[in-house]
Amino acid sequence: MPDTPTILGGVHHTARPTWKLKETVEFYHDILGLPIVHAISAVGWGPEDHPDFIHLFFGSGRESTIAFFYYLGTPKPEEALPLGNWLYKSVHTAWRVETREELLAWKARLEERGLDVLQVRHEIIESIYVTDPNGYMVEFTWQIRAMSEHDGLDAKLTLAAAIAIEEETGRPVGDIETVWRRKADLVAARLAEAA
Amino acid sequence: MPAIYVLDVPEFRALAEVARTKPAYRVTEPGLGYLKIESDIDIVFDRKELGFKPAIWYGAFTGGVHGRIAEFGRDTVRIVADGEASAA
Repeated sequence: MPDTPTILGGVHHTARPTWKLKETVEFYHDILGLPIVHAISAVGWGPEDHPDFIHLFFGSGRESTIAFFYYLGTPKPEEALPLGNWLYKSVHTAWRVETREELLAWKARLEERGLDVLQVRHEIIESIYVTDPNGYMVEFTWQIRAMSEHDGLDAKLTLAAAIAIEEETGRPVGDIETVWRRKADLVAARLAEAA
Repeated sequence: MPAIYVLDVPEFRALAEVARTKPAYRVTEPGLGYLKIESDIDIVFDRKELGFKPAIWYGAFTGGVHGRIAEFGRDTVRIVADGEASAA
């Protein structure tokens, strides 16, 4: 590990929360023309009060992405939150490193300097996280595999499912299972079209 | 019967690999990059058998679910057909 240089490869993604799923897709995808390249939808995990969420990524060129968290059943906070609130962690920048060896070299370097380093294996990236003196979280990540056209279609169907539910009910969708159930119908319909 | 769609990508592929070892489950490749796992009985997965870290585990059904999630714990998930009583 000591022979692996710790060099950043630019921004992999920046991320922030949104309370406007449909409008965000319309702005970044329809108006700006950014491709929908990936979406994760998951049951809330981590802190006990973490809600179900959709994590969506738009391609922003040179393999960078801009990402949003859509927290289900979570009203937008009206007042300032205490610094330790998990919602602050959703606003972050993730720098790219090219290999897992580099990620682990960064982890070793940061730990040598006394920092607490959180390491998480996600769907298509593996990341380490540290918190800066301001309380902001910084992520270092390497992308495990390239995103494919199937990732893009899958992401579009996830977002279409959530938006359809919200248009029908007139209110924010409250849990990810409801999205997954609708999405299965959309996948089935798309497969029938393709057959 | 309960069924799930799974994107045929490395991080989720263990769902299909484990399902293929269980006689009650059927795994097909309907297209568009998806695998479909369906069953005449409840679909049950064990996180450790899948080898899933939490981030993958809690997003494992992002491909879509026909049925209802009756249980989603740290290590066990159970998907039942629509209309069946929840154990939760």
